[in-house]
Amino acid sequence: MAELTTTKLNAESHLLLDQPLLRLPYELSRRTFKNAQRYIEHANKELPPLLTSALQSASKTSSPAPTLESLDTLISKLTSTKRKLEALRSEEQKLNASTAARIAHLDALFSVPSLVDVKYDEWSRTRLVRLLVDYLLREGYAGAAEKLAQERGVEELVDVDAFVACHRIERSLRVQRSTGLALAWCKEHAQGLRRLGSMLEFQLRLQQYIELVRMGHEGGGGREGMEGVENGDEGDGGVEVDMRDGGGGFGGVNEKLVEARAHAKKYLSASGDFDLMNRVGGLLAFRPWDEVEPYKSLYSPDRWTHLAALFLSTHHTLYSLPSRPLLHIALSAGLSALKTPSCHSAYASSSGNASSTTTTVCPICSTELNELARNVPYAHHTKSIVENDPVVLPNGRVYGRERLGVYNELVGETEGWVRDPVGGRGERWKLKEVRKVFIM
Amino acid sequence: MDDLREQVELLESKANLSTSIQDIQKAIDLLTTARAKIAADPHTAPITLAKLQSPFKQALKQANDDLKPVYSSLGKYGKALDKKFKDKPLPTAENDALSSHPQLINRAIAMHLLREGQFSVASTFIDEASRNPPHPEPTASTPNPYLNESWEKDLATGTFNSQELQLQFAEMYHILHELRQNRNLGPAIAWARQRSDTLEARGSNLEFELCRLQFVCLYAGRDDDDIMDESAGGPLRAWAYARSEFGPFQGRYAREVQQLMGAMAYWENIMDSPYRRYFYNGSAWEDVAASFTREFCSLLGLSADSPLYIAATAGAIALPTLLKLQNIMKEKRTEWTTQNELPVEIPLPPAYHFHSIFVCPVSKEQSTDQNPPMMMPCGHVIAQESLEKLSKGARFKCPYCPTESHPHEAKKVFL
Repeated sequence: MAELTTTKLNAESHLLLDQPLLRLPYELSRRTFKNAQRYIEHANKELPPLLTSALQSASKTSSPAPTLESLDTLISKLTSTKRKLEALRSEEQKLNASTAARIAHLDALFSVPSLVDVKYDEWSRTRLVRLLVDYLLREGYAGAAEKLAQERGVEELVDVDAFVACHRIERSLRVQRSTGLALAWCKEHAQGLRRLGSMLEFQLRLQQYIELVRMGHEGGGGREGMEGVENGDEGDGGVEVDMRDGGGGFGGVNEKLVEARAHAKKYLSASGDFDLMNRVGGLLAFRPWDEVEPYKSLYSPDRWTHLAALFLSTHHTLYSLPSRPLLHIALSAGLSALKTPSCHSAYASSSGNASSTTTTVCPICSTELNELARNVPYAHHTKSIVENDPVVLPNGRVYGRERLGVYNELVGETEGWVRDPVGGRGERWKLKEVRKVFIM
Repeated sequence: MDDLREQVELLESKANLSTSIQDIQKAIDLLTTARAKIAADPHTAPITLAKLQSPFKQALKQANDDLKPVYSSLGKYGKALDKKFKDKPLPTAENDALSSHPQLINRAIAMHLLREGQFSVASTFIDEASRNPPHPEPTASTPNPYLNESWEKDLATGTFNSQELQLQFAEMYHILHELRQNRNLGPAIAWARQRSDTLEARGSNLEFELCRLQFVCLYAGRDDDDIMDESAGGPLRAWAYARSEFGPFQGRYAREVQQLMGAMAYWENIMDSPYRRYFYNGSAWEDVAASFTREFCSLLGLSADSPLYIAATAGAIALPTLLKLQNIMKEKRTEWTTQNELPVEIPLPPAYHFHSIFVCPVSKEQSTDQNPPMMMPCGHVIAQESLEKLSKGARFKCPYCPTESHPHEAKKVFL
């Protein structure tokens, strides 16, 4: 049979919730490194040939001006590389410092002797702040998250910047309906995304295509090109599209539609999903206001919401962040572990209630969590847990004899009489009416 | 943790980008020197440039090579991280029962922030949350989140929009601040006096404790400006205070009041008197503050410690057990059948048991509203269903003692 209670703290297994704490800065460090590597590689590839050509032209002419000019170009290029690297270095420093702080924070748990130690209490409070900040950031409440982290001095332990950046992109998709930021993000994380086999970039490109087609159908009203769409070469369509005129009001081939076809050729044709390609092609024939599936759903603005969600899940997977807030995970487990059948009972419990000083209010019964806990299962127990020396009052309420005595002393009940701690000054009984009860 | 720390220290001290930056700087220096030379003497241009080629290339290559230790250190750190969390998978959405009630979670968080006294964080949060209401997501137990169900909305927005709770906690923090920082009992006593009846019914002696502390303060003359070495000013003031304020306490606290009065006789050498404990109790203020917080929250129907804190902590303690359970269920491909009850017992420290638990000794089931504990005339308690099964409506013997009784004689008890 399982132990009823434990005060033992197994720090190692206690870190279940804390993996993201170290994972995220690690992934960010790796990204910083990759960027540095890119800059240096770029300099290695680009600059020596420039110097060689400077040498060649210097030997041909006697005027120093072009030589000096090309040297200046080299210097300014290299200086800008250095500036970029220095920015990365300061980011690296920040990440290392915060990683060190996090390791120290987790390490502190290993020196806590038990779950009932004051130190555990402190540690757990810091953890709660971490979980709360994580939750707030995920929900996009960055202001409150930042303030809370500041007030509690845990800035090193939370990732405000990373989440703020993530939500800027998410919002750009969901609210502004623009793919620019998200595509830039995809470019920066191309390697990781390939490893994941992520469809995010493809979906973004598809959306760009849909928007081009939509603009085309809406009569070329929008002359402003979509940001983020590189000007694809206006070659012949590689995607075989049957351009049968759906009875539309556009004469000839619309400029936007041509652009859309080029876009599709450049970005979408490599997918190998012919079914999808057919639908993509069909989109050229069906207008946004034609109520025909599957085109209707491709045109649907819901796709933006879907893209935003896809971006979030891709982002979280890439950075090893769990898909749901950690607070949810901790709370779900905690609510179940603490919940008893009494917490949502129609009858007032004799213990853990608000009606007398001799007991503390149960957290699940407290307003904050009561409704939340309604749908979670209650904890399993194999043994009764009751106060020492239980007695029963004539109204059926069971109390520990000691607590009943303490309460009656506190309310100044006359000797030989008892009152029920629940219900305050209600009924009183003679002490001899209180019976012993046997709970096994 | 140690090897993780070592790796990070290594990353910070040695394996970082600064060496590469130095290499780049060297290349820049090479270029600037060459440029100065050519500017001074244009004829040297070809030879200077020719001489520059290979050192420049070298410097850039060095910058690239110096990245290698960073790369390998990062790799090692990553491996250490993998090893550390090898058997600790990221928590999955399966354990999440709450995403379908984001409003309730937001409310719980707002209340938590308020009760912790973080009013400005709370107001920022409430503001942000009402501008961007959360979206419920389906969970295993609630596949169709019901944001539109009115009770949840009302419940959530009810607290969000009302300033009442905030005002109440602001009052609580004001009183606590006066108590702890300014040693001023006035606001606390006023608060307790307003709720005198309720507090008394709860069996709380907060009001008396506060007044007693006031008496002690006056007696010791702590907050007085003039020195009173030889005069009995303090005790006299305390006496006057007792006469005006202690009247209502005569009934419940007669003994304590008598003791306080007895202390009057020792005003010259209270340190050596038996009453010392009243007057030199270092933790008196903290005790009073704690019991004030407790009463204050209880009167609002809230627990004294933040439920969010207790639940999150209990959750962290429970997670390893739940994870183990999940793994076993996956392995054996079983589902757990009792939806209402967790299938395993989760060991928690005793402080996390708030309600009494009754597990029927016959059926081993926990009692519920539908299956309450019943006490037989002999004083033994079993669950109602067990009682019905054992008795089949006729007289039966208690399973734990020789007493026989009729099921009608059994009485429902409340734990």
